[in-house]
Amino acid sequence: MAEQAIVQIKNLSKTIGNKKIIKNLSLELHKGEITGFLGPNGAGKTTTIRMMVGLMRPTEGEVWIDGQSVQANFEGSIRKVGVIVENPEMYKYMSGYKNLLHFSRMHKDVSKGRIDEVVKQVGMQNRINEKVSSYSLGMRQRLGLAQALLHDPKFLILDEPTNGLDPAGIREFRIYLQKIARESGVAIFVSSHLLSEIELLCDRIAIIQNGELIDIKNVNELQQSRYYIQAEPLELVGEVLTGAGFPTALHDKGYLIDSGAEHIPGAINLLVGAGARIFTVQPYRETLEAQFLEMTGGGEIAQAHTE
Amino acid sequence: MLKLIQNEWMKLWSRKITWIMVILLVFVVFAGLGITKWMNSTANEDVTESWQDIAQAEIANSTIMLAEPDLSETQIDYYEGQIAIAEHRLENDIPALEYASMQQQMLDTHMMMSLVTLLAVIAAAGIVAAEFSQGTIKMLLTRPVKRWKILTSKYITVLLFAVLLSVVLLISTAVAGLLFFGIGDGALLIWNGSEVVEASFWLEALKLAALKFSSVWMISTFAFMLGTVFRSSSLAIGLSIFLMFTGIQAVFLLQNYEIVKYYLFTHTDLTQFYTGNMLIPGITMTMSVLVLIVYFLVFMAISYWTFGRRDITA
Repeated sequence: MAEQAIVQIKNLSKTIGNKKIIKNLSLELHKGEITGFLGPNGAGKTTTIRMMVGLMRPTEGEVWIDGQSVQANFEGSIRKVGVIVENPEMYKYMSGYKNLLHFSRMHKDVSKGRIDEVVKQVGMQNRINEKVSSYSLGMRQRLGLAQALLHDPKFLILDEPTNGLDPAGIREFRIYLQKIARESGVAIFVSSHLLSEIELLCDRIAIIQNGELIDIKNVNELQQSRYYIQAEPLELVGEVLTGAGFPTALHDKGYLIDSGAEHIPGAINLLVGAGARIFTVQPYRETLEAQFLEMTGGGEIAQAHTE
Repeated sequence: MLKLIQNEWMKLWSRKITWIMVILLVFVVFAGLGITKWMNSTANEDVTESWQDIAQAEIANSTIMLAEPDLSETQIDYYEGQIAIAEHRLENDIPALEYASMQQQMLDTHMMMSLVTLLAVIAAAGIVAAEFSQGTIKMLLTRPVKRWKILTSKYITVLLFAVLLSVVLLISTAVAGLLFFGIGDGALLIWNGSEVVEASFWLEALKLAALKFSSVWMISTFAFMLGTVFRSSSLAIGLSIFLMFTGIQAVFLLQNYEIVKYYLFTHTDLTQFYTGNMLIPGITMTMSVLVLIVYFLVFMAISYWTFGRRDITA
């Protein structure tokens, strides 16, 4: 991507006590792009996010947001960021509106009109004047989103945002995030342990384990074209396919082949010509979960540290 | 900064506890004065002393006190003033304010300021600690406002609340005083260092309350610091109130050591220079104010340092 990244994380490290929790992490986030941040519990997701928003001080390294360092120029950089860290904890003894008013006073140029606009955007017009203590978890999440969007941020950072939402709520949330990424060009960074959720929501996925970034992948890259062919006799099928130059792997009762759709009719012809009996030919999509487990070594629990 | 204070003020008054504190204060004042009236009417039935007798006794008492060795200048000045006032009363036939009068109750209001301290401590201890216990601290500190500004707005809010409580105390004493006692006879005389002059009881009550505010200020600042450092309002409230009650006692334990002159509670009550109830001799108002400022700076430095640097993991 030629464009200058909105967020640059440069060699971020955090040591607590003798333990290096984050090891030399670097990452760039771009305009309009939704990046997922995935890792087993205790891998350092929350710590990284807290350093990105100035809640924690990095031992080494810096976070740059739109050309300004969070560590050196906190006010200038954080102005462009909307944050939901874990459950959005609000002042329960005040109404939703007063909560938004409270946060709006901490930004420059957030008018009352803007508050109303955001309230409408998240669909809370009817209950905004009730106390937050009477809200359901879903309502609180929406209010959390509203406070993060008040000041029209260029970068939205969400830590486990769908915790406690029901499936309909999650879907609504996802569509909404994709819309603001697409229409307003907001860069979004979402950490989650819900793999399927990340897969549907994100364009790109960064995987962290034991404080190290182990992989960054585009979601469509993960879903490379694979086909599952079940045919008999198995040995013959294997010979034919390898002979034709397909990378193959035994799977279940047949073979997996890495190939684009265009080569599949040719492969079928070859197999029929060789006298194989074909039962199934279908696109094969490995779930993100399986890939994730593969990459992180079977999801072993990271060396424990409190997040 | 004004907007931040507005925020803190809004949060403070959105909590029921704040309202309960104010109502409690008003209630205690009314109940206190009601009980005083009742006690006064039963206890003083057969008192036949005239105000002249009391003035004579005052002169005698102060003369005895003046004969004591090692009195400080402040104390000498105080007792000489008392004699001058009493003599002036007798010469010019000016009676002292009746005890059972609204004016005298106003003048004694400063003794109720420890209740204000108690309530201000509760607010001071919770204002930072509650953000941590509610988890709202991470919402608050991910705004384009530096941490020291947020802490300052919270501190100013605590002070404003303490001032407000003091004003509520004075006003409710005035109203309750009028209700139970009414305006009494007599005049307030004060010694200004060289002569006896008549003074307004309003101004005098205000002055004493303002001097007593030094103790409200110091103990709330202490509670504020504890709440900020330990992020636990109950610990901060408990420790501050414990010190508030035991701190003064420790002055008597320490009175033979030099260190007592640098001990916080020797100085927290600035009214001691006006009411003659000095905790230890040999201290002056200037010295007390200086000591208080040093303590204040230390408390503030600790609060700002921890709040500004802390990693938020709540």
